[in-house]
Amino acid sequence: MDAAERALLEETVRDAIVAGRDPRASAGVDDVLAGLGWHEMLHAEDRDPVDIVFRALGATNAMSSALDDVVVSALGVEPRPDLAVLLPPFTAWGAPGSADGDGIVATGVATARVASAAELLVVCSAGAEIHVAGVRPSVLDVTPVRGIDPDAALQTVRVEDGAATSAIDPAAWDSAVAAGRSAVAYQVAGACNAMLALAREHALARIQFDRPIARFQAVRHRLANALVGVEALEATLVAAADEPSMLTTALAKAVAGRTALTVGAECQQVLAGIGFTTDHPFHRLLKRTMVLDGILGSADAITLDVGRQLLADRRVPTLIDL
Amino acid sequence: MNLAGFRTELHAWLGEHHQELAPRFSPPGTLDERIAQMQRVKSVLFEAGWMRFGWPERVGGRGGSPMLRTELGAALAARELADPGLFSLIEVLAPTLIDFARPELAAEVVPRLLSGDEIWCQGFSEPGTGSDLASLRCRAVPDGDPSTTSAWVINGQKVWTSLAQYAERCVLLTRTGTGDSRHRGITAFFVDMDTPGITVTPLEMLNGEREFAEVFFDDVTVPADRMLGELHGGWNVAMSILPYERSSCFWQRIAYLYRRLEMLVEVAPEDDRSAEVVAEAFLALHMLRARSRVTQHRLADGATLGAETSIDKVLVATAEQLVYDAVRRLLPGVVEVDDSLAGAAWRSEYLYSRAATIYGGTAEVQRNIIARRLLNLGSDE
Repeated sequence: MDAAERALLEETVRDAIVAGRDPRASAGVDDVLAGLGWHEMLHAEDRDPVDIVFRALGATNAMSSALDDVVVSALGVEPRPDLAVLLPPFTAWGAPGSADGDGIVATGVATARVASAAELLVVCSAGAEIHVAGVRPSVLDVTPVRGIDPDAALQTVRVEDGAATSAIDPAAWDSAVAAGRSAVAYQVAGACNAMLALAREHALARIQFDRPIARFQAVRHRLANALVGVEALEATLVAAADEPSMLTTALAKAVAGRTALTVGAECQQVLAGIGFTTDHPFHRLLKRTMVLDGILGSADAITLDVGRQLLADRRVPTLIDL
Repeated sequence: MNLAGFRTELHAWLGEHHQELAPRFSPPGTLDERIAQMQRVKSVLFEAGWMRFGWPERVGGRGGSPMLRTELGAALAARELADPGLFSLIEVLAPTLIDFARPELAAEVVPRLLSGDEIWCQGFSEPGTGSDLASLRCRAVPDGDPSTTSAWVINGQKVWTSLAQYAERCVLLTRTGTGDSRHRGITAFFVDMDTPGITVTPLEMLNGEREFAEVFFDDVTVPADRMLGELHGGWNVAMSILPYERSSCFWQRIAYLYRRLEMLVEVAPEDDRSAEVVAEAFLALHMLRARSRVTQHRLADGATLGAETSIDKVLVATAEQLVYDAVRRLLPGVVEVDDSLAGAAWRSEYLYSRAATIYGGTAEVQRNIIARRLLNLGSDE
């Protein structure tokens, strides 16, 4: 994809998501993405569509079930609009289910799609093996999560079923986690850029002591810190795209969570009073990034895990080369 | 040669020649020992050809992408064969000569720097000129008409001049315009340090080392053909260094910091507190390395690097201090009261790392640049 094609796709996707998010629209965000050929795009080797779609979701504060498609696809299953996938519980990333031959037990979270899907894919650990089951909706115990961000439409799901499972390549779950983490990290990057844009706009427009607050060095340095964070996140996303691995994607996801905290805090302080109200859109972006941090491993959980690994290996890998 | 192939061959060669290249002292060694080591390594590598990659043929190089020499510097830092802070000074000196000196002068002197025959220093900062480089006052006046003069006479003082007491030459910024001409009235010269009238007084840093010096110029006469670039064109000379300082030099420092964090990981207690502290530093290093990689690819693709390298500068300073903060937290007392060689090394490096947010433009100046130039927040006046 060249720069012009990419710019066109970015604009198209963003416009479609904004249209689909409108509650009066007949088609939702998932439908408009499907209409744009999202499922076909996932087939291509090209990583750009994931980057573009998830950034746009983050920037517009929209939520979709595109994450199901990314994870399903990485599991080697054909993605389709009526197929959902069970994600691990908040902050965790292990396979959400366990299978013992008689059936499966699983707990996790899912996107809004689970409510209307014909089937829920549940990845289970079965002894040393990894199994997958397609579970019928009738046996699911689904509870909508309200929490800090009800619009994220996350669902808590419990499954206890006699469904048949089949063994898959154990590496497939790792691939699914890596692919899902990349997608979510792009979404967080979109939201971080949007938070910074709002704070910057406010700093230039807000007059105090007869001048825009953007003239005060204390304010400028907060926004500069936010930009340093955003640019560092962007670079780790490039690294994860160029050298995809469990570790580079884990780091991208961890950096995304950390960056969202920094950008959120700096921008919230710059936005001050107006950013503390629901009249201003900032609060939605902030809350969304907090929820996204918990999907497929939070920054804190990943960081601890990576640190344990470094200490166990007594090695610090450089991961990427020029 | 492609970069990956170069890297593989380089590491194989360095592995084979480790005995010959390794320091003959126990780290950290004195500054004298580290400088002698660096010059010896440069000499061996120049002879073997490695030191010539990435430099133009007209100054004794073998051509190719500057990233080749970046790889070499990073490999030496990772293998602890040369101090990256000292070694990477080449990157802020040689390109200046290549781009701004008379071609014959560059061809004569650059190979001496690359081969370890000479040490050079950079005379930019002054007592009254820290972050605000354009205010420098060290004055050069023509010995006659400025357009025909055969010599310039220099008077003034420089400070924070790394390795001045070891240096044979100095890339010097002087004031040639009026006192208030700022960046429009600066001219660069290439000065022999044994010229009469130059006095060097080393400064002791808080880690006890004497890497920097004050340099005094008292009626120092410099031939006019030692001018670098145009008369009053010194600001361009100074600014031209930034892309190298913020790409190749950083990549070498990054390689060194990864190795330092690994040295900590080799001895840190294996518990969750260590895991968190180590991983925070690792995360900062990864962000920095990822960012620096993007920057260097942009440079190699022909982009002109400017204000956006302030982001790299903030990240390198942050990561460096986090690595040494991790050392101090996970090896209690090592920095403060451990008199072993290892303790002395950690202590010296910990103290040095406190300057990461000061040298090369303070963290505050970088944030001012980011706010004004990258976020377009307008003037702060």
